Amino acid sequence: FTASLLLGTTMTISSNHWVMAWAGLEINTLAILPMISKSHHPRAIEAATKYFLTQATASALLLFSSMINAWQTGQWDITQLTNPTSCLILTSAIAMKLGLVPFHFWFPEVLQGTSLTTGLLLSTLMKFPPITLLYMTSPSLNPTVLTFMAILSTALGGWMGLNQTQIRKILAFSSISHLGWMTIIISYNPKLTLLNFYLYALMTTATFLTLHSTKASKLSTLMTTWTKAPALNAALLLTLLSLAGLPPLTGFLPKWLIIQELTKQDMA
Amino acid sequence: MDLSLVLNTFTLLTLTTLSTPIIFPLLSDSLKNTPSTITNTVKASFLISLIPMTIHIHSGSESLITLWEWKFIMTFKIPISLKLDFYSLTFLPIALFVSWSILQFATWYMASDPHATKFFTYLLLFLIAMLTLIVANNLFVLFIGWEGVGVMSFLLISWWHGRAEANTAALQAILYNRVGDVGLILCLAWLAYTTNTWEIQQLNSPHQTPTLPLLGLILAATGKSAQFGLHPWLPAAMEGPTPVSALLHSSTMVVAGIFLLIRTHPLLSSNQTAMTTCLCLGALSTLFAATCALTQNDIKKIIAFSTSSQLGLMMVTIGLNLPQLAFLHISTHAFFKAMLFLCSGSIIHNLNGEQDIRKMGGLQKMLPTTTSCLTIGNLALMGTPFLAGFYSKDQIIECLNTSYLNSWALILTLLATSFTAVYTIRMTVLVQTGFTRIPPLTPMNENNPAITSPITRLALGSIMAGLLITSYITPTKTPPMTMPLSIKITALVITILGIIIALELSKLTQTLILTKQTPLYNFSTSLGYFNLLTHRLTTKTLLTGGQNIASHLVDLSWYKLLGPEGLANLQLTTTKTITTLHSGLIKAYLSSFALSLLIILMSAH
Repeated sequence: FTASLLLGTTMTISSNHWVMAWAGLEINTLAILPMISKSHHPRAIEAATKYFLTQATASALLLFSSMINAWQTGQWDITQLTNPTSCLILTSAIAMKLGLVPFHFWFPEVLQGTSLTTGLLLSTLMKFPPITLLYMTSPSLNPTVLTFMAILSTALGGWMGLNQTQIRKILAFSSISHLGWMTIIISYNPKLTLLNFYLYALMTTATFLTLHSTKASKLSTLMTTWTKAPALNAALLLTLLSLAGLPPLTGFLPKWLIIQELTKQDMA
Repeated sequence: MDLSLVLNTFTLLTLTTLSTPIIFPLLSDSLKNTPSTITNTVKASFLISLIPMTIHIHSGSESLITLWEWKFIMTFKIPISLKLDFYSLTFLPIALFVSWSILQFATWYMASDPHATKFFTYLLLFLIAMLTLIVANNLFVLFIGWEGVGVMSFLLISWWHGRAEANTAALQAILYNRVGDVGLILCLAWLAYTTNTWEIQQLNSPHQTPTLPLLGLILAATGKSAQFGLHPWLPAAMEGPTPVSALLHSSTMVVAGIFLLIRTHPLLSSNQTAMTTCLCLGALSTLFAATCALTQNDIKKIIAFSTSSQLGLMMVTIGLNLPQLAFLHISTHAFFKAMLFLCSGSIIHNLNGEQDIRKMGGLQKMLPTTTSCLTIGNLALMGTPFLAGFYSKDQIIECLNTSYLNSWALILTLLATSFTAVYTIRMTVLVQTGFTRIPPLTPMNENNPAITSPITRLALGSIMAGLLITSYITPTKTPPMTMPLSIKITALVITILGIIIALELSKLTQTLILTKQTPLYNFSTSLGYFNLLTHRLTTKTLLTGGQNIASHLVDLSWYKLLGPEGLANLQLTTTKTITTLHSGLIKAYLSSFALSLLIILMSAH
């Protein structure tokens, strides 16, 4: 299944035609579904169902937007998406795929239903193709909508994360907020989006793997990890702080650059 | 012989003689003080001070002695200077005479006290501070004396400090005086700022002085001289021993406020608002104190209220722009008020500590000297013609009647004069006449010359002082010479009316009817509800306000509402609201997706 995942991702990334992109996304969705429902737990099945429904909707919307564009402009090229309506629909489709507010409701529950490694894949690998698509179409997207969604994501991710006890849900919300950061800068400097994504992927991978090795899935379990693997616990601390964006750590870099870019655009 | 040299020398000699009992014990162990040495020192000072007064009366010479200059800042020099003019040279012998008599009396009164010498030293310190105030040429030196008398008053009122009421009374005295001091400091500051001097002879401002510093001066006088508003400390100060009451709270300290106004008169006279304030404040104080005195049962409190009333009268005189007349009243008042206090002290000690006039009576037969002097004092207080009080009091009321001023103040003062007669007669009747109500076994003895000579001396003074002083001074303002007959005898008529009313009322007490508690009676007995209202209300408000600001405001509001906890609470509310939105129902989610999509599409078109 991992092979099909990789196939799907590569297809989407390297595509030039909308249908190719769509196909790659569909392969991804289908490939990860069995991985989500591997444990045959009712919650996993529920997560799989939710995931499938949202992703299917999103892919349909994607196709729909590309068709509108094709109908209006005759173009199937990804970088030439110029019709405003299709841009809007595309934005919402990608938001649904990524998990941006107001299309984020599925994300925490899906992440909670899977095991930690699958959750890792969901957070990092599955985000990659949609972000690539955004990157490619970034010049023609509507900044207002993007900014609106991004700000809401950042805020909501923070607020919702406060009230959680399950670590996977917390990580889901952290992912939502990071996505917010990524989206806000995409109309002005897409490279920063990519930088943010790479660093985020790195940090989240570290976090997920650490949590996986200590088998901590709840905050109460997390409390006692220091007895099992003290060094790893300390490393986890630093990684989490980096995720939060504390200055001397790496996580601060994308935030700083994004804010600088936004200030230049008079939006700070 | 150079008269001014003699004047200066003898005045300085007076002052140094007074300070010897303070300095000598520090020099050698064998030179200890005793009450009698202090008394004799004051007597010597008095005799010495007669000489400068005589010189002044004879030649009208005044002088100004500058001792040292405190170069605080180069542009503002504060010389320590003494001004020996009519006011200080006349008041010096009077104050020393009264103090001598009181100290002599105190040798008998405080004979059983283990710390009698300390008491006398305190009284002497007080006297020195008072005299500093009197001879000061500088508002700064005056302030030193002012504070000095305040502190000594505190120490002396709480002489019997085991008694809780004495301590509270002393605290009241200090607090009320302090509030007045604020006014004085305000005036000092304004003077330093505008006129760059604190000298009294440079106080003549050519243009009108602004009202604020003058109100400060009036506030200072209100505090020190117990005018209405800052008056509760004077009746409470009766907790001190009788010599204290006699010296401080009848003759000397309480006139300090009035004296300040006399000294700064050039500033006051041009400002009509200040004058009117003095007038109305004085009239109100007079009437209020007289009303309260009507129903008091403690002999010392009656005399205290009568002092307060007379001080109000002095304030009225200042409001009439007649400082010299006010000074005359101060001088004559000193004599008979001190004597009244000494008589009451003798009565109290002889009755073994009884101060309630309802338990005295018929003392005329038992203490003849004391009661005759009491009668003389009361008559002088009422303004009986040709006794001391008459010269000043009658003149004040004449001037009040013939001036174009506030008729409300006039009515109040006249009413207060009649009340004076009423309570004086009440006191006399209840204390001296009638059947006696004292306990049977009360050994009374007034054969001690320590009692009788001061009282008789002061009685002589009460009779003669008015005549003597008015004969020897030339008034700076012409007193009104002609007026209708009815106005001329107003004071007399009102006093006689008061006497008649009092006598009629006293006949009522012969019949055994219980006095009803009417609102007016309650008003008078509880001192006008002033004590009750202000003492609790103001302190409680201030303290709770302070507590609110200090602890509640900072701790509760800044930290809880706005600071850390507030932020946390804010996040909590949002978090809780949003969590309820994430219900987990896929249909709800998908519908929200659709809705958002619609909204986005709509908004773009």
